[in-house]
Amino acid sequence: MTTESTASHSHSSPDDGEVVSHIASTRRHVIVLLGLLMFTALTVGAYNINLGDWNLAAAVIISTCKSALVVWFFMELKDDVAFNRVIFLGAVIFMGLFMAYTMNDTRYRNIVDAYNGGRIDPRTGELANGTAAGIVAQGGELGPLPTLPAGEADGEPAQE
Amino acid sequence: MTVEAEAAIHADPHHIPADADYLTYERGWKSWLTTVDHKRIGVMYLISILLAFFAGGVFALILRTELLTPGRTIMEADTYNEMFTLHGAIMVFLFIIPSIPAAIGNFVLPIMLGAKDVAFPKLNLASLYIYWVGAIFTLVAITQGHIDTGWTFYTPYSTRADNSAIWMTIGVFILGFSSILTGLNFIATVHTMRGPGMHWRRLPLFIWGTYATAVIQVLATPVLAITLALLAMEKIVGVGVFDPALGGDPVLFQHFFWFYSHPAVYIMILPGMAIVNEVIATFSRRKIFGYMFIAMSSVALALLGFLVWGHHMFVSGQSEYATMVFSALTFLVAIPSGVKIFNWLATLYQGSISLESPMLYSLAFIALFTIGGLTGLFLGTLSTDIHLHDTYFVVAHFHYVMVGGTVFGFLSGLHYWWPKITGRLYDERWARVAFSLVFIGFNVTFLSQFVLGSRGMPRRYYSYLDQFQPLHMTSSGGAYVLGVGFLVMAVMFAKSLKSGEKAGRNPWGSAGYEWQTSPRPHPHNFAEQPVFTRGPYDYHLASERELFTGTDAEWDTHVAKKAEA
Amino acid sequence: MSTDAHGNSKFLQHHYDTPAQQFGAAKLGMWLFLAQELLFFSGLFVAYGVYRSWYPDAWVVGSHLLDYRMGTANTCVLLLSSFTAVMAVRSAQTGNQKATGNFLLATIFLAGCFMVVKYFEYHHKFEVGYLPGQHFAPHGEGLVEIVAAARETGVNGVPFHLRTFFGLYFVMTGIHGLHVLVGMFVMGWMWNRNRKGEFSKRYSTPVEMTALYWHLVDIIWIFLFPLLYLID
Ligand code: HEM
Ligand SMILES: [Cu+2]
Repeated sequence: MTTESTASHSHSSPDDGEVVSHIASTRRHVIVLLGLLMFTALTVGAYNINLGDWNLAAAVIISTCKSALVVWFFMELKDDVAFNRVIFLGAVIFMGLFMAYTMNDTRYRNIVDAYNGGRIDPRTGELANGTAAGIVAQGGELGPLPTLPAGEADGEPAQE
Repeated sequence: MTVEAEAAIHADPHHIPADADYLTYERGWKSWLTTVDHKRIGVMYLISILLAFFAGGVFALILRTELLTPGRTIMEADTYNEMFTLHGAIMVFLFIIPSIPAAIGNFVLPIMLGAKDVAFPKLNLASLYIYWVGAIFTLVAITQGHIDTGWTFYTPYSTRADNSAIWMTIGVFILGFSSILTGLNFIATVHTMRGPGMHWRRLPLFIWGTYATAVIQVLATPVLAITLALLAMEKIVGVGVFDPALGGDPVLFQHFFWFYSHPAVYIMILPGMAIVNEVIATFSRRKIFGYMFIAMSSVALALLGFLVWGHHMFVSGQSEYATMVFSALTFLVAIPSGVKIFNWLATLYQGSISLESPMLYSLAFIALFTIGGLTGLFLGTLSTDIHLHDTYFVVAHFHYVMVGGTVFGFLSGLHYWWPKITGRLYDERWARVAFSLVFIGFNVTFLSQFVLGSRGMPRRYYSYLDQFQPLHMTSSGGAYVLGVGFLVMAVMFAKSLKSGEKAGRNPWGSAGYEWQTSPRPHPHNFAEQPVFTRGPYDYHLASERELFTGTDAEWDTHVAKKAEA
Repeated sequence: MSTDAHGNSKFLQHHYDTPAQQFGAAKLGMWLFLAQELLFFSGLFVAYGVYRSWYPDAWVVGSHLLDYRMGTANTCVLLLSSFTAVMAVRSAQTGNQKATGNFLLATIFLAGCFMVVKYFEYHHKFEVGYLPGQHFAPHGEGLVEIVAAARETGVNGVPFHLRTFFGLYFVMTGIHGLHVLVGMFVMGWMWNRNRKGEFSKRYSTPVEMTALYWHLVDIIWIFLFPLLYLID
């Protein structure tokens, strides 16, 4: 390393060091806004026609499109340096990871009980309600758990 | 220098004489509290975390004293629970997490980059203030009742505990923001503040390590924040997200907590490794072996660290699928850790090694971290963890990585940069005495805990079976030796502050950039903007002058002028 | 913007060399901050995902108890405010001080509208007892609505875990609302700085950063809206 006299020293930007911003046209902003409103209408429309299992998927996909519009145009990631895109994408990926791994637990708890004979509810001496084996033993399928009837709702807290 | 440039510098209100140093340039406590100089902020952090370390250490000695005998020795079981909670929470959140990045990192990172300061100096000061506010909340928690949840704040312990738990969680929430802001600042600094010639392949490995740490700080800490916010709402308004009686799930709390806290163990260890890189290169007088591998392994550890959190929950009732995935991924972490160890050993090989105190701590780091990391693999194995979980084996494991790793790395860095921070040398003989005591004390304390744990002694217990007493007493004895070691070190440093010999610019003969500036750096780090023309470990390219005196020419002229006068 | 003897503009802080460097750092810092915000909210979305998958019935019924027309209105209001925010930035970049101020005011106004609608929604929920977790105690009209919603969605009985749904509803929209309030405050501050003439063609960074934050708040809502209000 040497120390040389450098009154002005070079950084990665080759220009005179002034900020160069891309100023987008008002027209583009209006178009994006209209797109966003259109997507909103679409989500509400999808809500009013029954899509069954696809309801959640439709909601998430449309929301993702809307966010992409906001991020790409309004937040100008379009013209931004690559690293800022990496940060944003990275954050989204880590969110997904958090969700996926956690639900990999919560969706599949006690599955192995089905092979190992399940768990006994000490209060009743029968197969415990919440475990997979318990549900199968009661003739139910694995999947969304049954809901309690109204009367018991405010009584003893129980598994749904 | 052109005439205009010269004129411009003298007209510049920010121009500071070349022989100024950061400690004495401005005086008075106000100048400290309002400073935006990263070095002063680093020093204030250093003092704060050392106080926290002292407090945590006192709690540790109290715990070890209680464990001298089965049953009551000096306190009740409830008090014991409170003590280990305070010990853990203070050590983790107030000491270890800010220790290397916020104290030492703040001091050296911009200097190494050839920058005048971090990217956001005011934010940097703000993060220190936020740290203090968080610390105050933690102190208040101690006065508000019995906080006995352990540092992990698991529900339902924490939801059933008294109000001190709220204070403590709010305190930790605030401390988290301090950590996020430090990380954010470091990433922006590394990206935008590098001096001329400082391209990515020349970044000192200390910076790669703190950079990887900063990524974790920014991405993981907010999850801790939301976890603690939910916990507070659980207590205050009874939201019930973690309460099974209301349909919530306490295991979900553990997911949230460990999504932060496993990456957080890398917030702790990566900076320790980062320091070891610098110290090993300097004291082997050798170009570090496998520079890019070490740099990339830091980033890999940071990212992999996000994939393994479930290994803390193997016996929490987590789904079996999840445990298998988490166990398998945990083993992957060994790869980048191993890469580092091998590269350090390769750097040592045929180096001209000198065993001064910073080097001793770094070598100890390598040995102790290896033990800590390998025992982590036993814990990451499903079948063995069922036996070892929540025993002293885990306690020993994480103390080997957190104390043997992070604290030894921190001490290595503190000894190494002490002359740069204070401008003074310390008494090497006493430093070695302190090292020996700390090293021996540490191993006696925690090796015995591995044995205790594998024989079934559960952790966080106030009492134990008689058969465990010899090992517990050994462990406590080691803890006292450790305490004495720290005492010797404190006296040694105090003496250095008071009457230590004045340090030169480059007392260790390092090729690192931070040694080229004046003994106590200029408020803007370098009186003249340095231009980097070689890597930080290029001993074969460094001039004699660089290695033994430093090259800040303008500072030299000033000193010469002064000597004449 | 005038320059000092150093040849630098007033807004350039001493530790930077060029305005472009300073701008790049500010923007990078802001994106990191936004990443941090996303991860902060991620906890809420994970909790949402877990409990929605466990308690689908409570989620369907709960969603029907929210007024999707109010949600739609609020979505449009926030989208519009994102547009005015982006126009404020554009005005600042083109040096139109007056328009910058007006667009900022418009954004604050729209944010205010959002909060007012939220207030009415919350108020109704409090009245009929749709409270989070442990305090969930629907009564009167509240019960009638639940029964109607359950019938409409083919759910049998009152799902116990409606309390979890409302717990998360309040936490998610509450924390989002807090972000809206912070945004309003910061935009007010920007408005004041703009009034004092601190921004120009050469320097409008703070307005841009504020807008980035505001867009993120909008994005969170873009997801919250269908996830809470529109479950079939
Ligand atoms: C090198 C690879 C590592 C592996 C494979 C590993 C693995 C593990 C595992 C499986 C556990 C859970 C044990 C149990 O509770 O049953 C654990 C606990 C722990 N580890 Fe590690 N670990 C590693 C490195 C580290 C590092 C570097 C640190 C900190 C600097 C650390 C700090 C901790 C802490 C604090 C705990 C205990 C947390 C608690 O329950 O209070 N580990 N480790
Ligand atoms: Cu871990």
